[in-house]
Amino acid sequence: MKCRTTDKNFFINPFKIGVKSLVLLTMSFAVNAATPNHITIALSSISEAVGWYEEYLDCQVITGREDTVNCGNTEIEFFLGRTVGGSAGTGVDRIGFSVPDLDAKMADLESVGVSGAGVRLVRFDDGSLVRDIPGLYKTAFITDPWGTKIELVQDKNLLGFHHIQLNSVDPDAALDWYNRVLGGERASLNGILDGVLFDDIWLFASKYTDGRPGMTQGRTIDHIGFEVADLDEAALQMSRLAVEFRQDPMVPDNARSNAKQAFVLGPDGVMIAIVEPGWEGVEEEIVMASTESAELYVVPRTPWGEPDLQGIWTADAAHGIPLQRGVDIAGTDELTPEEAAARRERGTLNSIWGYDREWRDTTLGYVTSAPSRQIAMVIDPPNGQLPETTAAYKELVAKAPPRIPPQRARTPVDLGTYVRCITRGPIGMMMPSIYNNGLQILQSPGNIAIQKEMIHETRVISTEPREGLGDGLKTWLGDSHGRWEDDTLVVEVRNLNGRTSYLGSSENMKLTQRFTRTGPDTLEYSFTVEDPSVWTEPWTGMFTFIKDENQIELVEYACHEGNYGMTNTLSAARTIDAREAEEVEYQE
Amino acid sequence: MAIRFNFSSILLTGTLLVMALASNSAITQDIGDYEPEKAWDGNPDLNGVWQAIGTAHWDLEDHEASAGLPEMGAIGSVPPGQGVVVGGEIPYQDWALERRRENWASRPTGDPETKCYLPGVPRATYLPYPFQILQGTDRIMIVYGFAEANRTIHMDVVNPESPPLDTWMGRSYGNWDGNTLVVDAQGFTGEAWFDRAGNFASNALRVTERYTPINPNAMLYEATIEDPTVFTRPWQIRMPLYRRLESNARVVEYKCVEFSEEILYGHLMKRED
Repeated sequence: MKCRTTDKNFFINPFKIGVKSLVLLTMSFAVNAATPNHITIALSSISEAVGWYEEYLDCQVITGREDTVNCGNTEIEFFLGRTVGGSAGTGVDRIGFSVPDLDAKMADLESVGVSGAGVRLVRFDDGSLVRDIPGLYKTAFITDPWGTKIELVQDKNLLGFHHIQLNSVDPDAALDWYNRVLGGERASLNGILDGVLFDDIWLFASKYTDGRPGMTQGRTIDHIGFEVADLDEAALQMSRLAVEFRQDPMVPDNARSNAKQAFVLGPDGVMIAIVEPGWEGVEEEIVMASTESAELYVVPRTPWGEPDLQGIWTADAAHGIPLQRGVDIAGTDELTPEEAAARRERGTLNSIWGYDREWRDTTLGYVTSAPSRQIAMVIDPPNGQLPETTAAYKELVAKAPPRIPPQRARTPVDLGTYVRCITRGPIGMMMPSIYNNGLQILQSPGNIAIQKEMIHETRVISTEPREGLGDGLKTWLGDSHGRWEDDTLVVEVRNLNGRTSYLGSSENMKLTQRFTRTGPDTLEYSFTVEDPSVWTEPWTGMFTFIKDENQIELVEYACHEGNYGMTNTLSAARTIDAREAEEVEYQE
Repeated sequence: MAIRFNFSSILLTGTLLVMALASNSAITQDIGDYEPEKAWDGNPDLNGVWQAIGTAHWDLEDHEASAGLPEMGAIGSVPPGQGVVVGGEIPYQDWALERRRENWASRPTGDPETKCYLPGVPRATYLPYPFQILQGTDRIMIVYGFAEANRTIHMDVVNPESPPLDTWMGRSYGNWDGNTLVVDAQGFTGEAWFDRAGNFASNALRVTERYTPINPNAMLYEATIEDPTVFTRPWQIRMPLYRRLESNARVVEYKCVEFSEEILYGHLMKRED
């Protein structure tokens, strides 16, 4: 996905403040009377972000501005962009919101949990979520799912959007700069916290001691925006103050209004947009990469004449496609691009667990392939639903012992073969995930190696008839027999040891996989499952791998070698055992 | 580590090595005569399933038979074997020799192989299991069975970048020197060992490998080991690799994780009463 921006990729639209009275400056030498106008956050799904800020920070959707929310006294605008990290440690460390009851707010957020919401709560050293700063206010920290650090405070005098927190090697000088160039009032909150008060938004600055703060541009808080009455006049004044312009005043391409904007570089690497009244941001044009197969596409050949499937591919685009068609989208053939982007983002948020954004490949900022618009993986039966399971299987499920939760795990076996870094199984190994979706295919005459990045597993498949492994030798991924049917690689998997299961599949499963290049950058993959002991009829799933030109080779996923999660999980389970044993002893 | 690949120095190192060895090696004398089968691109065809035979996986140096795991009787013992190190001994720095002794003492649980960790280079080559070479159009893949290890050897990269991060199997760039596949491998974590005797290197390790067909069913494997932080000078190992001649020869998937879990996590397991 690409977003068309003005002349530089990083900047997109700012927005306007509704009606805002200008702060009158009575002190300092400020030449302009600016007011904070917007915070611009780069992330991977605008619609998900709008929903998130609406739900958790009480911001309001703005009609006609799908990329922006109004948070009371400023706006937050979002744009699709690749970032190299969260806001912490940059010139704009965080943004602050004030709520009437912080303890209640944090309790709410904690009960929502990370799973599903993507809210990450930050605990203080003593484990608490809220800290009371005597004489000032209560404070707490969270990050949004895209890495924006957010401070929540309880300041009854100023609810809603509350402050912008800068990092600075010289906080006093930085605050003076903002005061001198943009106006506001040098003031102190409750006589404790020095800052610049712009109308009803505070600008604070913390001393940054670890070298210099990072540039904001390219991080989640890409830039902050201020509004001035007359941009040309303000620019002239700023020039006299030797302010460094990064973009002169202009009306950007695709601007929603004819108001101008400029960019200046503030102290400590902070990118600052300056906009005129009436600024309504820039309309992003979302360009979706086509994953449609070209009718006349001719599959390339290897020098020895086989269809050439070689290269590095990724399942990133397919992340988020549900296996089965949802009943609520019965009549739809494919999602819109924006729906597809939102679906993938939701899938990622739902699977964050404790992972930071930087851990996840499928956030749009990190992947180059557009999210798939496919409705469901199951293409047969044509209704997109898995077939009915057999009576015998239903009985098996009813009698199955309950699954042991991780905190009760006795041995690694209780945690499953994926967590153990053994395998996701012959079907699961191909499935898209939140990261490490790479697939390398390499061919030599009569052989094809299919290497999966996740866990790192390689199957060498002969495309010529060969003697299979004997009945006495079964393996986790089985014995793959390949053949070419026209330009399609067909692989029949036999000799599975049955120690992994996909949705109940048994050791009787017959798995047939098909790989077809459907375009220069697309590799269609389908898998047919025949397992009469579990499903009453065969079923087929399909999704598309996209060529990944960014990778020279797959990242070595040394899963088992770095499986600290296993040690930590078992260790935690044993700690719980010990605590419970102590409690029993105490009661006795 | 910041390393730059330099093919001219690799070629030079390799050439010198062959010259140095030519005088005292029966294997080397065979190289000149044999003209191997060629692949589609005119380079030697190394496709197939190969395996080292010997005891290098136990100890790269000369070693006598010794006790291994007493509970397994003679099966658990270490077989004697002739070393594969050219010149006989690995030229360790003093501190490293001490470290090798510590490794030896801790090997029942300290050897990455017992933990089913990726074997690294060159160890993957002479583990006692078959591996398969696939020559693609612009890269060569080596698939090893143990721990699902594999390597991609880039044959099409003109100015190789330094490995962006350290990995167990490293980053491999290759080229053809006549009938010899030369592979420059760097970017290792330094955590892999060379054998079950505790021989080791650091993450400054650079391995220059040469695969030279000597007859239809064998090739000479030579690896120059450089690591200035561990050794006093570069040194070499050399051994033949043999083609597996069974018509159904295969690299069978060898997922060993489950067999390492007792060593790694046994102390955290809850035993059923």
